[in-house]
Amino acid sequence: MTPFTKYLKLSTIAAGGLTLCVHGAQIPQRIDIKQLSKTVEDVVVPLPNEIFGALNKLGTVNWKEHVRSDKGTNFTERPRIALLLGTVIADGFIAVQAEDAPTVKEIGQRVLALAKGIGVGNSITPHAKAIIEAADKRNWDSVRQELDRTQNSVQQAMNEVHDEKLSQLVSLGGWLRGTEVLTSVVSKHFSADGAELLHQPDLLSYFQARLQAMPEFNLPILREIGDALLQVKPLIDVGNARIPRESVKKINDITTRLGSGIVTRD
Amino acid sequence: MNASAKVLLRGSSLLALIVALQSTVVASVDDAQSFALQAAEPYVKEGFQVREDYWGGDLGSGEKKAVRQQLFKGNEYWFWLGTEVERAKISVHIYDSDGKLAEEPDGWEKGHFAAAHVIPKTTGSYFVIVNVEESPEERTHWALVYGFR
Repeated sequence: MTPFTKYLKLSTIAAGGLTLCVHGAQIPQRIDIKQLSKTVEDVVVPLPNEIFGALNKLGTVNWKEHVRSDKGTNFTERPRIALLLGTVIADGFIAVQAEDAPTVKEIGQRVLALAKGIGVGNSITPHAKAIIEAADKRNWDSVRQELDRTQNSVQQAMNEVHDEKLSQLVSLGGWLRGTEVLTSVVSKHFSADGAELLHQPDLLSYFQARLQAMPEFNLPILREIGDALLQVKPLIDVGNARIPRESVKKINDITTRLGSGIVTRD
Repeated sequence: MNASAKVLLRGSSLLALIVALQSTVVASVDDAQSFALQAAEPYVKEGFQVREDYWGGDLGSGEKKAVRQQLFKGNEYWFWLGTEVERAKISVHIYDSDGKLAEEPDGWEKGHFAAAHVIPKTTGSYFVIVNVEESPEERTHWALVYGFR
């Protein structure tokens, strides 16, 4: 029996007599997280629009000022293409927030070109077409869904050919771009609730571990990202304390610099 | 039937059995995902965006699995668990980073479906605990999808 299973059995017994809920069974009101450490699956990296949705609920955001339609450099190194692909998909979510149909369509084409550059174009073609069609109809929910499908298909295609590391770089690129925009918005209209959206220490540790496991990708931008994550970690890993305005600004400076590095040649 | 025909028949039957078993194994997590998505379907009409990404695997009867998920205060989440094993009893529950039960009371379990609802009070890591409580199968495939709005 694994320690976790053992613990849960014990906790189920210990929790006897606790409140019944609509599940019709007694649910332990508390579990020991330390016992979970060996049985926890990897995190699913949130989509940028999960964060943007939460940000929207805090007040009106001028998404148009964050739209980026710069096509960026054409890279030949696959890790660089993967990083860029992640940021371009995130740019797609930003353009959807701004309801900017022409940019969404450009991004659909750009995603397809990058996916081809990395050898997974076939799995993306139908999604790129669907993104463009949905943008023409200004059906934003469909565009969001197709962007999610695009990222998922790219990553599945990469995983199938054992390019999991490239797949992780797609996620990292998207997360960095999402964090850049989040910190930009919160820096301009600071609120404690907005800053709290940066409280993602486990996600950051996840990316750090993944980067450390790719020594074969000997690229300056990846080393720069690794160093930057080290700087960001103490700024967001604050436990129950609040993340101050200065930290938000620092993270914005760091992610803006990285964002620029991802789209331009070294 | 001559001896070589018998060998051929046995051989082809064995091959068919292997192919059938392989397709069962390969298809099961996908089938479990289909059930999880089926459970999610009504919520899409209520504005939940269901993620394409999902977790999946197999567990023995009475076994649990924890998955870690970053949730954002301000959003509302549903997690849907499915299995293709009809007579299995499964459940899903959500705990915060301190190990405290964090879900809303309207989660549900019905046959080979289960769901849990969370409106995070803070932004951070949460633990989603997947449990195959009972199953007639030695290993039960499961898949977990989630949606947010």
